[in-house]
Amino acid sequence: MTRFITTTWLLMARALREARRQPANDLGNAFIPLFFYAVTVGAVGGVAREAFGVDDYKGFQLPVALLQGAAGIAGGAGLALTQDIQSGYFEKLMLTSTPRFAIVLGRMLADAVKAFGLSILIIAMALAVGSGFETGPVGMLVLLVGTAAFALAYSGIGVAIALKTGSPQAAQAGFLIFFPLLFLAPTFAPIEVFATWLEVIARANPVTYLIEGQRSLITAGWEPAALAKGAAAIAGIVALTFTLTGLALRGRSR
Amino acid sequence: MSAVAANGLVKHFSPDIRAVDGIDLDIPEGQVFGFLGQNGSGKTTTVRMLTTLLRPTAGTARVGGIDVLADPDRVRKLVGVALQEVGLDDLQTGREQLSLQSRLFGISSGETRRRVDHLLEIVSLTDAADRPVKGYSGGMKRRLDLACALVHEPRIIFLDEPTTGLDPVTRDQVWRYVEELNRDGVTFFLTTQYLEEADRLCHDIAIMDRGKIVAKGSPAELKSSIGTDAITVLFASDDDAQRADSRIRQLPGIDSTALAGREVVAYLRNGASAVAGIVLALNDAGLTVSELRLAQATLDDAFLRATGHHLEVDKRVEVAAVAGGAA
Repeated sequence: MTRFITTTWLLMARALREARRQPANDLGNAFIPLFFYAVTVGAVGGVAREAFGVDDYKGFQLPVALLQGAAGIAGGAGLALTQDIQSGYFEKLMLTSTPRFAIVLGRMLADAVKAFGLSILIIAMALAVGSGFETGPVGMLVLLVGTAAFALAYSGIGVAIALKTGSPQAAQAGFLIFFPLLFLAPTFAPIEVFATWLEVIARANPVTYLIEGQRSLITAGWEPAALAKGAAAIAGIVALTFTLTGLALRGRSR
Repeated sequence: MSAVAANGLVKHFSPDIRAVDGIDLDIPEGQVFGFLGQNGSGKTTTVRMLTTLLRPTAGTARVGGIDVLADPDRVRKLVGVALQEVGLDDLQTGREQLSLQSRLFGISSGETRRRVDHLLEIVSLTDAADRPVKGYSGGMKRRLDLACALVHEPRIIFLDEPTTGLDPVTRDQVWRYVEELNRDGVTFFLTTQYLEEADRLCHDIAIMDRGKIVAKGSPAELKSSIGTDAITVLFASDDDAQRADSRIRQLPGIDSTALAGREVVAYLRNGASAVAGIVLALNDAGLTVSELRLAQATLDDAFLRATGHHLEVDKRVEVAAVAGGAA
């Protein structure tokens, strides 16, 4: 177990070192959520109270920006892995006595760390423009950890595709899965105002519970039920993506 | 104990693609063993099976006495591997790459620093150690790749075409590393397309063709098995060469012949005394000789007899085909 932790740590550090050397890759991941946050709050914030009874629309939108940023970053692990596969470096790692799953988990954890950092920036920007935060610093920490956990879970999609195909295009396409799910959730308005058909879809969508759990920390206070559902959604995504990653890794290993 | 042993090793990628078709190996410790063959002959697939990167379709293999299927992790700790394509991370520096490789083998950070400094010196990369690998030349990358294979001080090293594409100076450096390490008792399993490389480095050679081992022995044994001299006779057409092959084989003193396109090679003990007889016999048969050469038998001759084609000639054909394709 110690060996697994040590090697995962070493490979995470390597992935973060590389990210530091290519800052442009992550600039887009920071720009896109902040841009959508500003535009959505600017367009809808003024009518949110009258339209669907939301007082703090800046806080209401904050989880959307956090998840967008985390999803953008989480696409990095799969893409970087395809580069390792194409350069032959992945095989060099496979020829060491490193536990197999540590080779991919190191990269995925690096994405979680980057998502944690980006989330601090996004929360700071939201607070600066007047967003509330009902649960204070402890709630912020929970929110940051939850967002990083989502990034870790979601990066498994790109990693599984990268291991299966070795193709950067396919790994990037996997990242796009998130966007339909994001817009089939209470992203712009509370679920209660949705048309029936959309509400049915949204209630079956794990992203709904992620957003509502995170949103509760910002706009409502400590709501154990919402947090539990959010945590369960993350656990479900982890179970799915880690299983896919494990299977893809086994297929590529031997 | 054998450093590498395989029994009936097979790898089929599909029923039609038999990359390795039942090979047996028994390589003693401390030997430099060469696998000689053209591209696609199955050399790399064999290395990949022996180093745990690929699961055999059938057969067994033991490296350092350990079954590659039963305990691949222990095999990985025992072996160093430098594959044909250097697998390096362009964004890391040479030092970072070597250090990470060492730490991933469970070597402590203090010991890693010592080994990395030592290896960088051995492969003449100390000055470039803190530069990103993407700025390295092909030779520097190959030397770093070799250092990565050595960092955990393995007793068995697999080198898959280690000098392909290298300039003569770097090639000579790699050969010297191999010789030095082998003097310290390290076993090498080396694949190559270069006859000179096999001749200089290898104690034993296996010639591989279409997934099978078609000849085995030391370079001297392989050369002497076909006679001490080789007379190469070139004709205007393949038909002429075929007729000449039948005729030359009947001549006294000829050990064997090999036919490759418009060329017939006759192997015999005393070539100089036989040249006149061969020319006269061909003349009597109405065959016109375009060119005739007498030389000592080489590994290429052994390769030709075992596979039916030259290693060097086929490489020229490959280059011509690429050039034609590009045009």
